[in-house]
Amino acid sequence: MKRTLDTAGMSLLAIVLLGMPLWMNVIQLNVSLGTSLLLFGLAAASVNILVGYTGFMAFGNAAFFGVGAYGSALFSHYIMPDNMILATIVGALTGTLSAFILAPFLIRRRGIYFALMTVAFGQVYYFIAYRWSNVTGGEDGFSISRPHLFGPQSNPMDGPAYYYYVLIVFVAVMAFMWFLVRSPFGLSLRAISQNEIRVRYLAINSDRMIFKALVISGMVAGIAGSLYSMSINFAYPLLMDWHQSGDFVMMTILGGAGTLWGPFIGAIIYTLAANVLSSKTETWQIFIGALFVACVLFFPKGILGFLSRPNTTSEDIDATLDRVHADALAQVEPG
Amino acid sequence: MERLIPEIVNGIVLGAFYAIIAIGLSLIMNLTGTVNLAHGSFLTLAGYLAFTLIQRGTNFWLALGISAILTVVIGLAVERTLIQPLYKRIPLYSLLLTFGLALIAEEVFRLIWGPQSVPFSPPASLQGATIIGDTVLPTFRLAIVAVLAVAMAMLLLFLYRTRQGLRLRGAVLNREMMAALGINTQMLYMMNFGIGIFLAAIAGVLASGLIGLSPTMGNGLLMPAFITVVIGGMGSIAGSLVGGLLLGVGQSVTTLYAPAASEIVTYVLMAVVLLIRPRGLFGEEGLFG
Amino acid sequence: MEGSRSRRDFVKKAAIAGGVVLGFPALIPKRTEAEETLNIGVDEELTGVYAYPAKNEVRGMQMAVDDWNKKGGVLGRKINLLVEDNANNPGTAVEKARKLFEVDKVPVLIGTLNSANSQAVSNVAFQAGKPFLVSGGHTDTVTGSQCHWTSFRTCHSTWAETHATGLSISKKFGKKWYYITPDYAFGHSLLDGYKSMEAQLGIQVVGSDLTPLGTTDFSAYLTKVLAAKPDCLIIMVQGDDQTNCLKQANSFGILKRIPVAGPQGELEPLWGVPKEAQVGYWGVEWYYKNVGNNKEAQSFVSRYMTQFQEPPTARSAFGYITVERMATAIQEAKGTDPVKVCKALSGMTFHPLQQGSGTYRTVDHQLEWPMLFCETVAGGQDGNAKDIFKMIDVQPGDAIEHPVSEQEKVCKLAWPA
Repeated sequence: MKRTLDTAGMSLLAIVLLGMPLWMNVIQLNVSLGTSLLLFGLAAASVNILVGYTGFMAFGNAAFFGVGAYGSALFSHYIMPDNMILATIVGALTGTLSAFILAPFLIRRRGIYFALMTVAFGQVYYFIAYRWSNVTGGEDGFSISRPHLFGPQSNPMDGPAYYYYVLIVFVAVMAFMWFLVRSPFGLSLRAISQNEIRVRYLAINSDRMIFKALVISGMVAGIAGSLYSMSINFAYPLLMDWHQSGDFVMMTILGGAGTLWGPFIGAIIYTLAANVLSSKTETWQIFIGALFVACVLFFPKGILGFLSRPNTTSEDIDATLDRVHADALAQVEPG
Repeated sequence: MERLIPEIVNGIVLGAFYAIIAIGLSLIMNLTGTVNLAHGSFLTLAGYLAFTLIQRGTNFWLALGISAILTVVIGLAVERTLIQPLYKRIPLYSLLLTFGLALIAEEVFRLIWGPQSVPFSPPASLQGATIIGDTVLPTFRLAIVAVLAVAMAMLLLFLYRTRQGLRLRGAVLNREMMAALGINTQMLYMMNFGIGIFLAAIAGVLASGLIGLSPTMGNGLLMPAFITVVIGGMGSIAGSLVGGLLLGVGQSVTTLYAPAASEIVTYVLMAVVLLIRPRGLFGEEGLFG
Repeated sequence: MEGSRSRRDFVKKAAIAGGVVLGFPALIPKRTEAEETLNIGVDEELTGVYAYPAKNEVRGMQMAVDDWNKKGGVLGRKINLLVEDNANNPGTAVEKARKLFEVDKVPVLIGTLNSANSQAVSNVAFQAGKPFLVSGGHTDTVTGSQCHWTSFRTCHSTWAETHATGLSISKKFGKKWYYITPDYAFGHSLLDGYKSMEAQLGIQVVGSDLTPLGTTDFSAYLTKVLAAKPDCLIIMVQGDDQTNCLKQANSFGILKRIPVAGPQGELEPLWGVPKEAQVGYWGVEWYYKNVGNNKEAQSFVSRYMTQFQEPPTARSAFGYITVERMATAIQEAKGTDPVKVCKALSGMTFHPLQQGSGTYRTVDHQLEWPMLFCETVAGGQDGNAKDIFKMIDVQPGDAIEHPVSEQEKVCKLAWPA
């Protein structure tokens, strides 16, 4: 019964997402905003890996997002224009690399110190983008031309075509997330969020897990960023600023940290709310701020967290930990 | 070399600012785990209140005092209604809530006082410059250091020579024990927050005389203040003082030799301290991991 | 029990998703074009650090709209402004521009004063193939290396600003200069502008600092200025940076000893500076007392002052001129066909709210129009605290802009066949 309902829910989501360019105009919004919803959803998912599943306050994911954005933009402009897929991959790699560079430092601290370090290092990336203006364009930003899928001979991608490209990537990444949270690795992350000391007592190297989580988070954010700059045909330093990170964290919390689809729901609500409100009133910032306050006070588990019970129980986590622990022991003891 | 001395003096003034704001932040963070991203908004609020009073003819120093008190009252109202519910939760929530408050505050300032910078002068008696040898020191900046030093002295007196101060220090060390001893911890939380806001308010009015007073004024000072807290160590007043001076002088001297790096230097410094000595120069081990 | 709970969960999720998606039409105002109205899209920085100049631009725009509508509109259609806030963020500026073009189907777009936003939106308009008239963004690339046949700009280029002021500054104060420049493209291009004049004017640069955008404390730079003893301190920072720099320069006693000048001085930041720091000799793009015998301009100024209780600023003028010229171009093109409208704007000569004349040049679509050099009068003059500029001289547009031959190499307008 539950399975058919879940399938029905997924089908509904599929129909909604596949038909987005059609009904987006009907509800008075442009298609590229729909693309942005998918991409911010992925950025929030990257935050979710750390905040929702590992229980770490990550306030620097916009830096990975932004490095991915510049990665694909600079690649398209300087090295190989007109190759969208390669640009996406390069952006993803740069985003991953940006997290990989920081991870050895970030894993050494926890709690609020971890959070402050993510902010500090994120801002270092922001200032590099800002100051290295010969390469990045600095404050003025970096223009890129419309992406071509099949090389310079093909037509540049228009809004709807690019949306479907992003949708394919979105589905792939969300599928990856689905597998990730169910894998032993994912369950170990959740165990860390419950009680890291216990995990370490079971001979599991939590530092290594957190390292991997950071790098994966950087990869997902980097993919989102690299597609975003190609969507708006522009890369700019504010994409990396800690305020942008704060927005991504908000989306995650709003939708439900620790749930698979929570970040996406949060991204939709937050982005649409900001977009619609700013068209209606100049004081829209008050409403967005109030949304933050209300969410924290009244909906801290977020919309999906409020509605559903977790699919994975503590027993599942314990069972997995036992397996991982046994594996670890087997490696230590001979035979 | 002679150019270094005025830079160091500038750095000390800047550092005093960072220190006073950092002490407020640190007190709030230390006792209740609240990361107050709206701290800058209280700075700005105090500046605007003082501006309004001065426009009506109030003397600068009186306006400073009154706006500080008003800002504390508003701060306490915010603390009791919005922040107090979060004391039991992880710091992420106070971070997000105060982030939202800062957004609201900025827009409210824009609505009441307008989006433009408003002209705010230091008192006429302090507008000149004091010349020591070859070095020109704006008198107002010297006055700022004096006022902040007095504020810090008052704070230290309170913490180390009064009963309430003793209780506050005790609560920082062990909240549960204080409650178990029958002490009203809620009052302590309020007092603590109030002190933090009071320091921010004073800094805000003084800053308005130095830089432009606009809805976004306080936010520019927030980040360096956080960095000062981290460098100096959470909960340590001496740490915030030393950290602030270090940061201020570091920024000023870097500006002399490599201005483009003056912003990055602060973040790099923070990252380095977090790596080598995460509790900060004078901080206590074990707080917040 | 389990089944009904899952069903409830699912229904809740679906309801929320559905509500969110379908509820939006109720919230979003329907703004598609009716036969009787002509919608002009405005993409502007209404929140953030530029909120005040942006507000003044929109005020000017709205006044131009009202004036045209009183005359019966454009080609019989009333003009309506669809204003969107880009929150001083290029990503948002792009989305809003696309919304205006694709959803609201505006035939033309105007606005932006942030450099990055101007370029990003200029690119969007080019992709959409529709005209975009930049009101207040100064970055060189919009009418330079990244120009498009669809983009035009009202406010002066940085080259014009430096070339309108350089000679006057050196004649008035001397040849030893100290530069304080904001460290981004706008600042760099101002610096390049003055550099190109140094040899010819015999300027000796005794110091030059690039200050990060948003610098609150200029004391480090100001002590260097005191040590260098220039004939003139050239301040190129704008907005809040300019306010801070002047306030602090005053506290160091600089303003009493060293004259201060710069390529751009605006009323918005200078009105926010306390009297003791309200000094300087600045390039001013438009001033409300420089309207001469231009009746339309005189009427604009007096009506603006009545309505808003303060004089119009250069920003207000940018807004008014931008709408006014866009409407004129649509009228001349007898419709909103993009190529015809752009062809009508290109090369259009008129009086931009003053006696002097201006032209949207065919080579780069930059408005070439006069620029003033003014002295700041602290506290205002003639009993008006807001009247702070005393006009010293006016340079005609063609004397100060990039030479056409130079621009031809940089900007290639590829008109559609």
